[in-house]
Amino acid sequence: MTTVEHVQPGHGTAEITARDAPPARRRGRRRGLATTIVWYLMLLVLAAIVLYPLVWLFFATLKPSSEFGRNSGLLPWEPTLDNYARVWDGIAGIPLWRYGLNSLIVASLAVVGTLASSALAGYAFARVSFKGSGILFAAMIGTLLLPFHVIIIPQYIIFNQLDLLDTYVPLLIGKFLGTEAFFVFLMVQFIRNIPRELDEAARIDGAGHPRIFWSIVVPLLRPALVTGGIFSFIWTWNDFLGPLIYLTSPENYTLPIALRLYNDTTSTSDYGATVAASLLSLIPVLLFFLIFQRMLIRGVATQGLKG
Amino acid sequence: MKRFKIAIAAVASAALLLAGCGGEPAGPSSDFDPNAPVTLDLAFWGNDTRAGFYKNAIAKFNEKYPKITVNSTFLPFPEFWEKRQIEAAGRDLPDVMQFDYAYLRQYSQNKLLLDLKPYLGKYIKTDGFTESTLGIGVVNGVTTALPIGTNAWAMFTNTALLTKSGAGAYTGATSWDEYATWMGSVSKAGGGSVWGGTDPTGRIQNFEISLRANGKNLFDDAGAAQFTKAELAEFWGKGAQVRGTGATIPTKRLLEVAPKSGFGAGLTTSELTWDNFGAGYAGDLGADASGLALSAPPVTKAGAKDLYLKPSMLHAIAANSEHPEASALLVDFLLNSQEAGAVFGTNRGLPASSTHLAGVKLDPLSQKILDYETSIKDRLGAAPPVPVVGYGSIEEKFRQLGEELGLGTVTVEQAVDQFFSEMDTILKK
Amino acid sequence: MVTVPTPTGTPTARGSGRTAERRTAAASPAGEPRRPGRASGGAAAARRETIAGYGFLAPWLVGFFGLTVGPMAVSLYLAFTRYDIFTPPEWVGFGNFVRMFTDDPVFLRSAQVTLEYVLIGTPVKLAAALAIALLLNSITRGSGFFRSAFYTPSLIGASVSVAIVWRAMFAGDGAVDSSLQILGIDLGGWVGDVDLAIPMMIILVVWQFGAPMVIFLAGLKQVPTELYEAAQVDGAGPVHRFWKVTVPMLSPVIFFNLLLETIHAFQVFGSAFIISNGSGAPGGRLNFITLYMYKRGFADMQMGYAAAIAWVVLVVVAIIAAIMFRTARSWVYYAGDNR
Repeated sequence: MTTVEHVQPGHGTAEITARDAPPARRRGRRRGLATTIVWYLMLLVLAAIVLYPLVWLFFATLKPSSEFGRNSGLLPWEPTLDNYARVWDGIAGIPLWRYGLNSLIVASLAVVGTLASSALAGYAFARVSFKGSGILFAAMIGTLLLPFHVIIIPQYIIFNQLDLLDTYVPLLIGKFLGTEAFFVFLMVQFIRNIPRELDEAARIDGAGHPRIFWSIVVPLLRPALVTGGIFSFIWTWNDFLGPLIYLTSPENYTLPIALRLYNDTTSTSDYGATVAASLLSLIPVLLFFLIFQRMLIRGVATQGLKG
Repeated sequence: MKRFKIAIAAVASAALLLAGCGGEPAGPSSDFDPNAPVTLDLAFWGNDTRAGFYKNAIAKFNEKYPKITVNSTFLPFPEFWEKRQIEAAGRDLPDVMQFDYAYLRQYSQNKLLLDLKPYLGKYIKTDGFTESTLGIGVVNGVTTALPIGTNAWAMFTNTALLTKSGAGAYTGATSWDEYATWMGSVSKAGGGSVWGGTDPTGRIQNFEISLRANGKNLFDDAGAAQFTKAELAEFWGKGAQVRGTGATIPTKRLLEVAPKSGFGAGLTTSELTWDNFGAGYAGDLGADASGLALSAPPVTKAGAKDLYLKPSMLHAIAANSEHPEASALLVDFLLNSQEAGAVFGTNRGLPASSTHLAGVKLDPLSQKILDYETSIKDRLGAAPPVPVVGYGSIEEKFRQLGEELGLGTVTVEQAVDQFFSEMDTILKK
Repeated sequence: MVTVPTPTGTPTARGSGRTAERRTAAASPAGEPRRPGRASGGAAAARRETIAGYGFLAPWLVGFFGLTVGPMAVSLYLAFTRYDIFTPPEWVGFGNFVRMFTDDPVFLRSAQVTLEYVLIGTPVKLAAALAIALLLNSITRGSGFFRSAFYTPSLIGASVSVAIVWRAMFAGDGAVDSSLQILGIDLGGWVGDVDLAIPMMIILVVWQFGAPMVIFLAGLKQVPTELYEAAQVDGAGPVHRFWKVTVPMLSPVIFFNLLLETIHAFQVFGSAFIISNGSGAPGGRLNFITLYMYKRGFADMQMGYAAAIAWVVLVVVAIIAAIMFRTARSWVYYAGDNR
């Protein structure tokens, strides 16, 4: 049925590793020019479709509030920059950048905490065989399944008792303790996919788990770490419920809360300022993504296999 | 297994009720010194503009009481209540809150709010209030909140849009049938881009005033519903007739412009709502309020006292406050002082306290509201009992079913059954 | 001989011993197979492993027991009570569960729309994410630009702006309807259409496919290029290479995305909440199970009932997850486990 035979345990990868890779022949170059053009065209069309709503959002920031709900076309009837002017004024005397800075602090610390704690836990689950690992792994997956809303109140009470409300601790401590199973599981999946020959070799050289983790797994885990870092940053940046529950002073609010403050349905809602502010709040995360997505190209795991 | 269950139960109950400690508050202490430094938390809902007003008002308050520090926090309405509910679970509410009528019974009955009676007169002046406005925040005989402002159910019309479409103005206080006919004439002139109004049977307040015209309320003092399935079916049946004539804006269209209303989006020329929504409409429409007119809602029965004054919002003090006296001073300032009146204007509704109102410089829209509330004096009856616990959910279910009726996804009978079963669920808990 | 790892090779090609080993590997997450060389190390080595394991797991353990287990246990307890936040919970046994399945049509309806959403939305989103990731992985120039372009929609999260944009796109005179009219399809506005509301939400979730796409891309970066070259030398065509190299090598990531996206889809909240103004409109078609749970818990103060709903969802998703883990043994291949 198949011409490609199943890999023999311990042989397949080693065989490939042993073979010196020829100077990377680019698969793209061998493809016909026509195919390449078709692929780029496809990508361009798809990108245009995917980006259209964001282009719409950009033009919406130039619409006065009264056009919302009435003008669903792309261009504003009466273009104005007033929305940006009002955003510039800030909310309740606090400039918008202050909220942005709060978000930046929380999101950056969240990245550090999440990556450190989840890489450690991921290594334990993927590479160390210890009693109870199976049941703890199942428990970790189990924590993914419970909707956040039902544990809000008990968690709130814990942090209230610890007198940590209106600080960033409740928002961050969980990240440093790997409570977001998504990231732990992500690390587990990637670490399990790193060929074991490398740690075997290191082990023969006398390396223990800490050294294998630090000098072999972490470098090879880079795509996963970058990916995890990007998600952690963006999701923390966009998190609404956590900051809503734990932060009280407006000067401590993060951006998503601040953005909501332009809209109060019981008084006057400022849709124009809402979209303008939310577009502005996209810029830092977009920059973050632009910078870190480059690292997805570099740091290919197979590097370690060569030579 | 059983032991495990008990252990869990013990842990859970302990965690959930640790705040239960602390008995009945003893009332104001005699040795209160307003010049001793204290810090109060103040929470309100609203937008940026209102936040600015509170900031200025607190500055004025601090000219009087420099040692009382006020930390304020604010959120939009839904998030404000989400946060309060969680704080209530931990018995950790802010000292002073802007409060909503729909939540008053729940918080009062669970003793989360301070009994204000011992503070009235001494810390919170009451001369600006009338007997009936003072009684608005009384639940089971205990005063737990005082109204900031009042509002009444009203009909807004967009005169600017009416003029443009060439339809005649609505005169106010007609019969419901005449109102429907008028809406139909506007919709006809509007030719599919402007409609006369929104189906009024989607709002529970319209059902309420039709009940009140017959001397009943939605709920009695004990919290039991005072209407039958047949009455509700008849009410929604009328709505189906009106929708059938094409006089009202299609529900589909309304869903597309949400969170604006059809009126706010400039698609309808009339809408029944609370009379303090004018500023919001003007903002949504991007026009000044001069194009808006206020008139009395249609009449169900001539001479009936179907309308009433509802508190637009109230002030309450948390029972868990450690500084009830200082909190009371702040509430007094925010409710009664001319200074605060000058700062807020009618942002929080038409002030309930006459001393507060004296400081308010009425803008044209506020003047319209004041004139409107004066004009309906004869139709104003006694306010219904403080809303039942869960009233907000009941109101929302009514609105959702109105929407489904408009979309045609349920029949009137199904909607009535669903409403009653939901009401049972919420009321019995 | 070219060796391309594939877990889907003919079973007869495998020795029964290997099958057994694979099963062991999948059963414990570490996939620690018996190591003949280290068996003599005995108890001391095992103890060292255990110490190392708990050492690496220490922060997670603190978080798990300090922040997660307690609140989860409380919510499980609450599922068997009537609890309105203000007064102590009152034990009602299985009352909440009985009510859910016998006396709550709204619950059943929201379970139904949630299932529809999960079953259609998740595969479509994953297929889109994988297709785009493969496209991106095969181009050399401008991949950074395209990657960013495709990820940007996922940056917005579920904000008021998303609701505004989406309503405008799918309004009666919005971009979607206008484009479809060019193709001769006139569906009218989607927002207020009970039949089109779920498709609209699915398109929204597919539009925000950036997260699985990036994970696929990171997984593709882990595939050694040598494998492709070896397969090519062997004369395997692109389709064959996809099925015999890409899919097996990517399988841990495919599995990860499938599991996580399924779980996320069950828990869809923010986007539906914001698009329907928290009401689940139109006609309850967007009243997904978490929305309903949230409403019962926080608007109606029926926290016990809400917790019961959450635990029913948890059990259902756990069963689905368990099935996925079980079937994963036959198609997920871990380079690091294979020895």
